[in-house]
Amino acid sequence: MMNENFFYRIIKFQDFEETGAYECLQSILTHLRIYTQERRNIRACCIMNAFGLIQIGLILLCTTIICNHQCNHLLLQQRKMIENSLQLLDKMGKNFPQRCLREKMSFRFPKQVLQPRQKETVRIAIEEIFQHIFYIFSKNLTLAAWDGTALDQFQNGLYQQIEQLEACVIKKHTHYCWSKEVSRLKLKKYFQKIDCFLKDKQHNLCSWEISRAEMRRCLQLIDKVTRKLNN
Amino acid sequence: MEERGQGQGWMEERGQAHGQGWMPELRAGRPAVRGAGRPAVRGGGWKALLWLVVAALPLPCQGQAPLQSPQDIQVCVVNTNFTLRWSHPGAEPGLTFSAEYKWSEGSGTGWQELPGCRNVPGPECDFSSAVSEYYDTHWVRVRAQRGEQVSPWSRVLEMVPDHEAQIGPPGMELQPTNGDIKIKISPPEANQGKKMWLNDLSFKYNLVFWENSSNSQPRSKNIFPVDTVGDLAPDTTYCFKVQANLPTEGKEGLFSPVRCLKTTQKAVNDLLCATNLRVLGLNMEFHLHWDNQYEQPVSYNVQYLIGYLKRLNEDYSGKWVGVPGCGNVTGTRCNVSSAITTTGFYYLRVQARAGLNRSCLSTEVKVDPLRTNEICPPGVKVDISDTLLHIQISPPGGPEGEVMRNNYVLSYRILYWRNSSSDEEEAKVKETKQTVATIPDLAPQTLYCVKAQAFSEAYNKSSVYSQEECIQTPGAKAFPLVILATFMAALFAVLLVALPLVFVLYQAYSKIKYVFFPSCQPPLNIEGFGGQLCTSPYLPTPEEPVENYSIIDSMITYEGNQMDCKDYKHSKQSSRDSGNYSNDDNTSGSKGSAETLGKEIV
Repeated sequence: MMNENFFYRIIKFQDFEETGAYECLQSILTHLRIYTQERRNIRACCIMNAFGLIQIGLILLCTTIICNHQCNHLLLQQRKMIENSLQLLDKMGKNFPQRCLREKMSFRFPKQVLQPRQKETVRIAIEEIFQHIFYIFSKNLTLAAWDGTALDQFQNGLYQQIEQLEACVIKKHTHYCWSKEVSRLKLKKYFQKIDCFLKDKQHNLCSWEISRAEMRRCLQLIDKVTRKLNN
Repeated sequence: MEERGQGQGWMEERGQAHGQGWMPELRAGRPAVRGAGRPAVRGGGWKALLWLVVAALPLPCQGQAPLQSPQDIQVCVVNTNFTLRWSHPGAEPGLTFSAEYKWSEGSGTGWQELPGCRNVPGPECDFSSAVSEYYDTHWVRVRAQRGEQVSPWSRVLEMVPDHEAQIGPPGMELQPTNGDIKIKISPPEANQGKKMWLNDLSFKYNLVFWENSSNSQPRSKNIFPVDTVGDLAPDTTYCFKVQANLPTEGKEGLFSPVRCLKTTQKAVNDLLCATNLRVLGLNMEFHLHWDNQYEQPVSYNVQYLIGYLKRLNEDYSGKWVGVPGCGNVTGTRCNVSSAITTTGFYYLRVQARAGLNRSCLSTEVKVDPLRTNEICPPGVKVDISDTLLHIQISPPGGPEGEVMRNNYVLSYRILYWRNSSSDEEEAKVKETKQTVATIPDLAPQTLYCVKAQAFSEAYNKSSVYSQEECIQTPGAKAFPLVILATFMAALFAVLLVALPLVFVLYQAYSKIKYVFFPSCQPPLNIEGFGGQLCTSPYLPTPEEPVENYSIIDSMITYEGNQMDCKDYKHSKQSSRDSGNYSNDDNTSGSKGSAETLGKEIV
């Protein structure tokens, strides 16, 4: 009493088995929830039972992931660099203008993306966040009227951190599993929202100041996570 | 509806010898289903219901072969182009296909018609216009249609556009310059309004190039959006292709079309150019050194570029800035610290100028300040107190070096050892983050030597060791001895000084007393004796025995200020008597008896 759908899922799992990251389990669970929502029948329950056994096997596989040795110092360096970035972000402009308060929007950064389940995944998450911030601050800055030197240094610092993280996280299966992470899509949506917000307001001063405050919050969260990972 | 569709699917499976445990029962139950009865199929009553429904369906189409649903549903996404593909076993003309889709964040209307996939003949269709949210889950299904007859729906394909999407080929522009090839890459969705890859700065471009000859190995290189490929043979045709990758997502893009072109000759300006650029840094003071091979005088101009500009999609050749203070250098080195801060990478290059119209740009050198920089040794000062060795470290860089120390998170490693000629003892190590350290439990009366180095754990960097500072520990029993010695010395000094002083003072006192306050007083009626006064009472006479005179002397009492000598019968005696005034012992002793004697004589 099995149908094609179940076979389809099995095949996908065989792919995951080779890569074997814990995040895969999350995506599997998500897939399963969607499946039962749609189907609501016994077949899904049977599939879940089978998956349960596969999950246990995958958990055993997941625990054998070894951290890349040359990146041990990276977290130590990063703490200082993130502090510097925060300082430069403050230095760039003045205090938040009062008149921009009414235009403030709630963007809701997906905090779960930084839950330190596994160092490797958090590293990739941080790298992706840095890349997004780097992209946001790379153009259409004329109306913001910020200090050019501080901005240059801020971007330069971000770029250096991205390069270092890229050099560190080279395990392919970690990338693959991260790409299937559910909260990653939320992260992308978050930055897409900010990008759209800036475009809608034509990159005026208030929209820039609101974005800058939001990015500051982001960096502070990353700072906290980095400190936690260090200790 | 879905269950019915599934049932139909199973029927087809059975027909094509698919399926599993169903088969024997199906075969067994099939003829009976046509009738009134229902087979007692394993698995429960719902399957019986299914069969009932299944049995009912083919009735109107009796006589016609049932239409099969499409299989192998796939979605192929390149950038924002969505293509739905399927396969159908019966390749009949006049067969059209339609698709439906559902979107997780949609208005909950259920299955909607998929635009671009309505009554299409082919095994694929383009539905790019239907998808607008690339991070939401979409479901798609297809069915075949022949006239009035429709096949059951295919199985539902679930996809998230962002996951399925492939990176399209980037654009590539090549330009041969001076023996090298200058490449400008435009991102995959360069001028599109709607983008799948929002962040076009996160692409990493992989260039694959090879010589256009028979057996050449392709070389692969990671390049920036605007970059130069050097190290190529002149006057040779090379072929290039580039792909855009997203490492964080584990995605590799499609390759651009291959383009081949010929390199030019290298210009002969080489000797003028500065070569072998290297940066040396000490305590965050950076100096650029280069070599000069030109005989005639050359003037150099050092320029720098902030590292992140290379990551942008724009051409950065106009963004090189001259380093302040290195504008017109005649030597082969310059201080570039004003341009280089602690954050991020920098690129440096040297422009050499000779004469009016000859100039040459050197190759670039990349500087990572915190890695290139070397830390100077700290200063060390030692101090001894009891058996504790106090070490004071003055951090490298002084007050201006605060930024450097902050970024490196410096700690200090102190090496201390016993410097005795007899045995070579191993040096002990103490690590500290503070600038003061104390080493307890030292052996007494030994020479200890100390040296320190600064190191950064985060960057795995350490300075050389500082100069040695040696200090001798005091003796062990010295402490109580010192006390005793000090006490004795003090006592000695006191006695040495005090005793003579007391003696001198006493002598002075007695002299003064003798002169001004004599103990020998003349009698009160001295005028009655003829006025023979003792004028010089100090003249001694050795003729008479002292004792008698001493008795007489003792009759004289100390009264008032008058030094009166008792002048009885002999004026000479009186003078002698006076000589004996200084005899303190007798006067005081026999004072009482002298008085009584004096009274009797008188």
